[in-house]
Amino acid sequence: MAITIDQQALLKLLQLTSPALPVGAFSYSEGLETLVLHGHLTDSAALHKWLVQELRYGAVRLDVAIATRSHQNAQTPDQLAYWNQWLTASRDTAELRQQSWQMGRALVRLAQNLHPELQPSFDACGTPCNFAVAFGIIAAHWQIDPYTMALGYLQSWATNLIGAAVKLVPLGQTDGQRCLLKMIPELTTTAQASVNLQDDELYVSGWGSAIASMQHETLYTRLFRS
Amino acid sequence: MPRQEKSGLMTTTNTVSSVQTTEESRHWRGTLDLRFSMLDGKTFPTKSYSTSPLRVQRPFYPAAAPDNCQSVIVHTAGGMVGGDQLDMAITAGPDTQALVTTAAAHKIYRSQGDWAEQAIQLNIGTGAYVEWLPQELILFDGGQFRQSLRVNLEPGAVWMGWDITRFGRSARGETLKAGAWRSQTEIWQQGKPLWISQQQLRGGSDVLSSHNGLSGYPVVGSFLLLGRPITSEHLSTIRTLLDLSTSKDCDFGITELEQGLVACYRGFSSQAARQYFIRIWQYLRTEVLVQKGYVPRVWGVS
Repeated sequence: MAITIDQQALLKLLQLTSPALPVGAFSYSEGLETLVLHGHLTDSAALHKWLVQELRYGAVRLDVAIATRSHQNAQTPDQLAYWNQWLTASRDTAELRQQSWQMGRALVRLAQNLHPELQPSFDACGTPCNFAVAFGIIAAHWQIDPYTMALGYLQSWATNLIGAAVKLVPLGQTDGQRCLLKMIPELTTTAQASVNLQDDELYVSGWGSAIASMQHETLYTRLFRS
Repeated sequence: MPRQEKSGLMTTTNTVSSVQTTEESRHWRGTLDLRFSMLDGKTFPTKSYSTSPLRVQRPFYPAAAPDNCQSVIVHTAGGMVGGDQLDMAITAGPDTQALVTTAAAHKIYRSQGDWAEQAIQLNIGTGAYVEWLPQELILFDGGQFRQSLRVNLEPGAVWMGWDITRFGRSARGETLKAGAWRSQTEIWQQGKPLWISQQQLRGGSDVLSSHNGLSGYPVVGSFLLLGRPITSEHLSTIRTLLDLSTSKDCDFGITELEQGLVACYRGFSSQAARQYFIRIWQYLRTEVLVQKGYVPRVWGVS
């Protein structure tokens, strides 16, 4: 699917998905740290496989589907409240829930300063507001269309996890960049599929990733918060 | 084969309850309406209506926990084929205490294309305490099964439940090459979702072997407590009890929810999954919910 995006929206998308966005995304590994410590993730091929499987079947699809719903319902308070609660209840583990809330809180605080007029939308979400929900509200306000938003969301998700793996495995910076490039076909496919997910299609198959995140809570040494 | 099993049973079950199978459809549509109420300080199943192939055994009050009403659901056809449907509604009145389980493993046979479906709704009244602890489900290669479990908790209600699923008859080396499975679990309290889990698996999928998915293990299970927050001390005690450091043939995880906890198993053995879950369940029963512990005899475990 081709995208057309005007200059304003493109620059705002780059800002929203930049590692410089102060939401602390770099401090979460979403279970990757467990895999590395247990010896299940030892090279960039294994990392690529893990991330591709997450894109095809994992919880990040729900994030994009819910960000799309908050994008489309940024002016509909009861829908924002519903999908924010839905996403909280769908988080597999305590750490993933905290990650979603902590990043969400930071993003809401930022947006409250940049765009006070968004306050009614954040009030509708209630607290804690999940990151993907806040992301959708801001993307709508910045006139970034849902599919482009989804591409940006997934690319920044992949960038963060590859960054975590580069530190943990460890991998070379070039290996990390190569992995990210290699993911482009999967990122575009998942963005399109996730934006189009209907309410009765919000299914995942993530037993392994849920268990990896649960086990992260009891690792002896932890560099990351999830 | 399953078709023969079913038609063979139709005449026998006809005598105990109405059969909703029609000549046109030749599919089972079993229903269950089970209600528990407090009478003179004791929990009774005050309504127990079922249609074939579902049946409920007479209530049982274990000597070790006499306040607890135990009901066993029997699926008289032994399993489901595509097109079969089961609808169960279980309602627990205020302050009741009930454990509901099943008499045997639930088998889903190879399908010709239709889904076998099961929908369960549990409404749990104020201060009531309900346990939904069915035996394992076995999805045969080529089986198509979807299930939904919806639990509504009134204030002060507590619910514990588990499900254990085996993909393929793995004891005979069967894997899930074809077929599909979908499971939707939702726990709500006063209009707010406490837990939502929607999972699916397709036969032959790379999820069967990936680390993210099943990692080659045929059995998955999950255990849930909702309606009662637990402390981090309880959580760490449970982790110690489970002694997960020695488990080689499975992966196990447990984590806190805002209103309870969830544990997840993937491995080779549905019995091992149940043993882990029984340990968590017994601990929560006795230490957190201050109930007496016991294990239903119908499970055939000690």
